[in-house]
Amino acid sequence: MSTLTGRQKAGWAVITVLVLVYALFPVAAIAATSFKRPSELNQGTFLPQSPTTANYEQILVGGAQELFLSALRNSIGISLIATAVAVVLATLAAYAIARLDFPGKRLVLTTALGVSIFPVISIVTPLFNLWRSIGLYDTWLGLIIPYLSLTLPISIWTLAAFFRQIPWELEQAAQVDGATSWQAFRKAIVPLAAPGVFTTALIAFFIAWNDFVYGISLTSTEAARPVPAALAFFTGASQFEEPTGSISAAAVVVTVPVVVLVLLFQRQIVSGLTQGAVKG
Amino acid sequence: MLVLASAGVVGACGGESGPPTLTWYTNPDDGGQARIAEECTQEADGAYEIEVSVLPRDASAQREQLARRLAARDASIDLMSLDPPFIPELAEPGFLAPVPQDVADRVSEGVVDGALVGATWRDELVTLPFWANTQLLWFRTSVAEGAGLDMSAPVTWDQLIEAATTQDAYLGVQGTKAESLTVWVNALVESAGGHVIEDPEAEADDVALGLESEAGQEAARIIGEIGSEGLGGPGLPTADENASLTLFQGDRGSFMVNWPFVWRAMNAAVEDGALDQAVLDDIGWALYPQVLEGSESRPPYGGINIGVGAFSPDVDLAYQAAECIVDPAKQAEYFVSDGNPPAASAAYDDPEVQEAFPMADVIRQSLEQAAPRPQTPYYNEVSTGLQETWHPPSAVDPDASPGRATDLIIAVLRGESLL
Amino acid sequence: MTAASTPAGVGAPGSGKPSGQPGRTAQEERAHRARGGPRQDAERSDRARAEARLGWYLAGPAFVVMLAVTAYPILQAVYESLFRFRLTAPDEREFVGLENYATVLSDRVWWADLGVTAFITLVTVLVELVLGFALALVMHRAVTQLRGLLRTAILVPYGIITVVSAFAWFYAFDINSGFVNSWFSWVPGIDEDLNWFAGQGTSLVVIIASEIWKTTPFISLLLLAGLAQVPTELEEAAEVDGATWWQRLRRVVIPNMKAAIMVAVLFRALDAFRIFDNVFIMTNGANGTEVLSLLAYRTSIGRLEIGLGSAISVLLFVCVIAICFVAIKLFKVDLAGARGEK
Repeated sequence: MSTLTGRQKAGWAVITVLVLVYALFPVAAIAATSFKRPSELNQGTFLPQSPTTANYEQILVGGAQELFLSALRNSIGISLIATAVAVVLATLAAYAIARLDFPGKRLVLTTALGVSIFPVISIVTPLFNLWRSIGLYDTWLGLIIPYLSLTLPISIWTLAAFFRQIPWELEQAAQVDGATSWQAFRKAIVPLAAPGVFTTALIAFFIAWNDFVYGISLTSTEAARPVPAALAFFTGASQFEEPTGSISAAAVVVTVPVVVLVLLFQRQIVSGLTQGAVKG
Repeated sequence: MLVLASAGVVGACGGESGPPTLTWYTNPDDGGQARIAEECTQEADGAYEIEVSVLPRDASAQREQLARRLAARDASIDLMSLDPPFIPELAEPGFLAPVPQDVADRVSEGVVDGALVGATWRDELVTLPFWANTQLLWFRTSVAEGAGLDMSAPVTWDQLIEAATTQDAYLGVQGTKAESLTVWVNALVESAGGHVIEDPEAEADDVALGLESEAGQEAARIIGEIGSEGLGGPGLPTADENASLTLFQGDRGSFMVNWPFVWRAMNAAVEDGALDQAVLDDIGWALYPQVLEGSESRPPYGGINIGVGAFSPDVDLAYQAAECIVDPAKQAEYFVSDGNPPAASAAYDDPEVQEAFPMADVIRQSLEQAAPRPQTPYYNEVSTGLQETWHPPSAVDPDASPGRATDLIIAVLRGESLL
Repeated sequence: MTAASTPAGVGAPGSGKPSGQPGRTAQEERAHRARGGPRQDAERSDRARAEARLGWYLAGPAFVVMLAVTAYPILQAVYESLFRFRLTAPDEREFVGLENYATVLSDRVWWADLGVTAFITLVTVLVELVLGFALALVMHRAVTQLRGLLRTAILVPYGIITVVSAFAWFYAFDINSGFVNSWFSWVPGIDEDLNWFAGQGTSLVVIIASEIWKTTPFISLLLLAGLAQVPTELEEAAEVDGATWWQRLRRVVIPNMKAAIMVAVLFRALDAFRIFDNVFIMTNGANGTEVLSLLAYRTSIGRLEIGLGSAISVLLFVCVIAICFVAIKLFKVDLAGARGEK
């Protein structure tokens, strides 16, 4: 890339600042709120005057601890399992789609597409009704299963795109060496596919982590309630007082892992979401 | 009965070692119910253990969670903290275990009137009154004096409207589209001598509303006037109890109708340095304002009753625990610690209560006068229908709103309309 | 609702390809095999059969799971929508045929909510397309040192929980706890007393703004993928010919990424149509901001009217199918056009 002129440099500086403000300002706003004392909440200022960590104490070691920490545990556990199951199933399916010729391949892809545009709310009612009659209501499994409808389709599409770029000859070479299709898949493809699988897992995790509709509809206690739903349960000193501080602190706590993951893996996430198209 | 059979089956499976665990679904508070649960567990001396599970903050969301679980015949619900208006909906299909007669006799003794009405459905006590809430009229003495109002005598809404207008101040009322709006509407209609629902025990198709009456029109006139004159401040359409309190503490605060939690909240704010002691010293309280001059007001009634789940495997134990929870001494303690007034009249005489809540006697009197919201299994529809048609406050019109609400609610109850 | 927004990403990798057709690999494969030299027909069909079997062994579980978690519940919803059934009155369940649909479709509320939902969808998609394109250009053109920083920043809204974003925007604009009014009081129409969540227009502004903030990164990534498809030679040639920046964008870049744009628009539109979280948190449907998902939720989960709620769910599903159908029709035409140019 040619060196930039001074004017271009200034231009890029302005653009960078604009993008940063756009992307980070709302996050900064809720982070600032999370450090406010109750008395500062209604003063209409952006920054807290005398920052306090009381809100964090409240949710991590104080009165709301049980509510928040159990929700955090549920969210992490349920999202991880839903991601893992989806990625395993999707890896198999995507391999078949990318490498094998079989009737119904398009059907699988079309189904994945169809499921991914499915209005979540449409299946909440029947699921709620079914879950309560078979005892899955308010359980981890009762959330993991519907989460698959969110994580599986995107995993299949992303992985299929990744797999299409893996050098085809390697597998053939393995097969020539006497390996079966399955061995060829395991030995030749898996190592190459691992980065794609990891990226897919990241994207799928974000989706499961984000869920709200299933979370509020299919749970009712700390046994399975995930974080987004739990945010609606915080309370101030009485049930009439707004828990603005606690909610903001909890929001920041659950946003930190997202920011860290994005910082570490931005390249992978971007390529995961654009891959097929870029190299297609 | 299928219900009992299934409860029995589940009960048989619950054979763990140690005392049976009773799960108590509580509304969020400042930790008082969790503490009572511990105390009762200790007092039970191994007979049972109470575990607390917290419900959402919003009253209708609490109902949503419980109704869903009970409809699922959930055996893990032993004890519930229930908001009175939602009790009939749960009592009607038999989701609440019947209260044993001896328990009913013991717990209804010395309970303020409003709380008993709220715990009853079809002339039977179906829940145990725990704490009883009511709204008072809170005022800034300086503003009341400026407006020349004698606060030792009952005041009317019209006087408050006039005072706010002349003093260029805001009235603290709850205009947000939520349960608190229904609370306001109901209190106004009742204070004007009417009822939102004339025959609360009727079937869905035959429910008759009482909004298209002089009382309904008066209520609509007051809300509409406060809304359209901007007397509730710019935040009125989204103002809940907390927002009203903020407004009341502010520079233009004057009068506010609100629950007694505000007293504790304002004291805490002073300790925290968020509020001047001078503001706190300026605050007075009185009975809920009248709609018709000279006729006693009917303040809002709220609070929490303890219900026992019909599908619990340990109904008897659950009632033992419930009796422990609603013990008047615990109610008094809970009032002091969490600011929620007792249902038992005697608890108000507790010296600690009198010290922490100088307005305790006014609260007790307010509870005697209070009118519950309509006790109907279709309360959710009625309340949401009201909110749908009486919001925002500035659009409430005495000639149109009562009729619109009536038409909508009746259509919804007949299944002819969405909400 | 962004649980949804991301599956949209799904569409990108596959259908964003110039071919846009998953089947293409199969064709390539066949061509490849044909070039592979002469083989016995029998061996070939045996092999093909084994491959088909393996294919289904591998893809089958995912396929079955996807159907089980969606097709089954939606069929259940169709069935339940034929009853008048309220959970708190379990004994009064009654078959009513299509009456629930008649109730919903003849109700003003359904159409009002449909209007609000469509409005939100339209505005967010249009704004996001422009804003997302700008962000994609920034990411595409940025010098290497800046690229990582910019991408990271842009990915933050993408990864954040929608509910968290809704609270962040809500608290910023709220008349009591917000700072927006005092910061922007110089803007005509904004002052300390503006209650954003008291009116339909202002509430929708905040709801839409938060939705745009949260989901633009996603659309910009899809567009970034499209930008990368634009042959650099063409752009350079245009530059040599003296075309201005704007002309190059309009004549060269955009026509060459039409397919990516269509995919992005379709998926974002379907996603925006399902909006729920923001509205639930900010207004819970007050002041005419109720959307269809919220109506379905309130009816079946809130009021426990399973029959009526199921009917709304089914109708919502039909709406999504309809949008999809119309869009894919348009989309196909464009795809063919795009291919024709090559």
